[in-house]
Amino acid sequence: MEDTPKDDKIALGDLLPQEINGWQAETKDELYDPQTIFDYIDGAGEVYRSYNFKQLLARRFTKEGKPDIVADLFDMDTSKDAFGVFTHDLEGEDAGIGQGSTYNGGLLSFWKDRFFVSLYSEEETEDTRKALFALGEKVASSIQKEGKKPDIVSLLPSENLAEKSAHYFHNHMILNYHFYVSDENILLLDQQTEAALGIYREDNERSYILVVRYPEGKKASQAYESFMLSYMPDATELGLVQTEDLKWTGAKLHQDFVIIIFNAPSRFLATGTIEKVEDRIGQI
Amino acid sequence: MKKRAITRRDFLRVAAMSPFAGAFAYGFRIQEKKEAEKSAKVVLIRDKNALISFKKPNPGVIQKMLDDSITTLLGESDPVSAWKKLVKPSDIVGIKSNVWRPIPTTSEVEQALKARVMDAGVAEDNIGIDDRGVRRNRLFKDATVLINARPARTHHWSGMGGCIKNHIMFVPWPPAYHGDSCADLATLWYKHNLKERTKLNVLLMLNPQFHGIGPHNYSDKYVWEYKGILVSQDPVAVDAIGVRILQAKRREYFGEDRPLQPPAKHIYLADTRHNLGVSDPDKIELIKLGWEEGILI
Repeated sequence: MEDTPKDDKIALGDLLPQEINGWQAETKDELYDPQTIFDYIDGAGEVYRSYNFKQLLARRFTKEGKPDIVADLFDMDTSKDAFGVFTHDLEGEDAGIGQGSTYNGGLLSFWKDRFFVSLYSEEETEDTRKALFALGEKVASSIQKEGKKPDIVSLLPSENLAEKSAHYFHNHMILNYHFYVSDENILLLDQQTEAALGIYREDNERSYILVVRYPEGKKASQAYESFMLSYMPDATELGLVQTEDLKWTGAKLHQDFVIIIFNAPSRFLATGTIEKVEDRIGQI
Repeated sequence: MKKRAITRRDFLRVAAMSPFAGAFAYGFRIQEKKEAEKSAKVVLIRDKNALISFKKPNPGVIQKMLDDSITTLLGESDPVSAWKKLVKPSDIVGIKSNVWRPIPTTSEVEQALKARVMDAGVAEDNIGIDDRGVRRNRLFKDATVLINARPARTHHWSGMGGCIKNHIMFVPWPPAYHGDSCADLATLWYKHNLKERTKLNVLLMLNPQFHGIGPHNYSDKYVWEYKGILVSQDPVAVDAIGVRILQAKRREYFGEDRPLQPPAKHIYLADTRHNLGVSDPDKIELIKLGWEEGILI
């Protein structure tokens, strides 16, 4: 399972059909890049830019008397980022398409290889639902290869990990989207860092585990110091602090990783969880 | 001096001191400037006959809702007198609309506003209605008065699309305001001379969107027929009330407190950092008119 090589030229339009269940493609596709995407989806374009997307092809399908269907096919350049952008919005039922998928309220999303695919009907009906699933199957089958998930996601302990709650991303804007940490980029995240965030639920309590891998240990060390200074200057020597909501936050620098647990119900759980992540780092 | 980072813990401190635990969910109530005493007035009007069908406003009812709310807002007994407080015959008026395909401002609302601007004496040739073309539209370039009208919805990057955000089309490069989840959107009101010119803000709550999904940030599943309109001369106050209604709907729908993602902090910072208006519900006089069932606030 490897990404489609970057020199393997795939015309995005060739991955989409011209017709599905009686819906016909409009004659002209629209193409967007990271500079023009805002013309198409306004501020949501920031999400795809944050995952380093290269190109988006949008194709609209119409059928007399039926709601339009919009297919958005994103070339994310790598399967890691195709997976990552898929994890941005995980609401919905598993649609069983591609390497991971969801269906919710007239929106079918999936990822496969280096592509993220969003199929959307402007109104949801039984007919549009069938057409979306048929279209999804068709697009998925036209993408020949499968891609690898980022291995950092496997560092998140599985016990009590809430369903569909593991997110992979690069920068602090996406971190703040899922879990607000700070208005400033105190973890020094950028397009080269890789981060995994998991949401954990136990007895109506919710805690968050964040694992960040930096390109080198020195950068990780700087980020750890920055975080400790801004977020938990009152931490103990063990990198723990009881926050104002009486929960525990713990942080640790481990090689080129920074591991943080937020909202842990006890100090023991905070330290134990960090140790679990460290063990897993040793295994990848 | 380097600006200190605001962290989650700052909000936890506020929440710990606050009598209401939802402080973090609702806002960024950290006061960044010493506030002078200020207040705002917002009118919420609802009518169960506001829509003919899903997303299709009833023109006659919309006109009456606007008339009743604006006369109440401005303390006048008839709509023309009220509108004469907002515009004079020599004005050039831009009605800043919103054309977002799933939930637009709608021609019914635009025409109802335009009719009253004309009733107040403004020539039809001096009234423009536009959204994405405002920077090229002569009437908007020359406008002495702006009427700001758009639907309320959740927004993928700013938390909420409301009246503050509706003026983003006046800037040459909107993404320049995307930093920190559009935290400083209010500054565009100053940079483009919009604060003084915007005489009325109309936040449509006819069928607001309380949750968004996917690249288009939309599904009919997360729109409901609230059949309301909020009006105010304060863009921050009208958004602050709107966001509370969206949050209340989210709580009702999801069965738990699910803050907007990202939080619509630009509304609170428009007040506390940029002094554009009032965001504190305790300082907003909210007058409710009409249909009360499911009002959520």
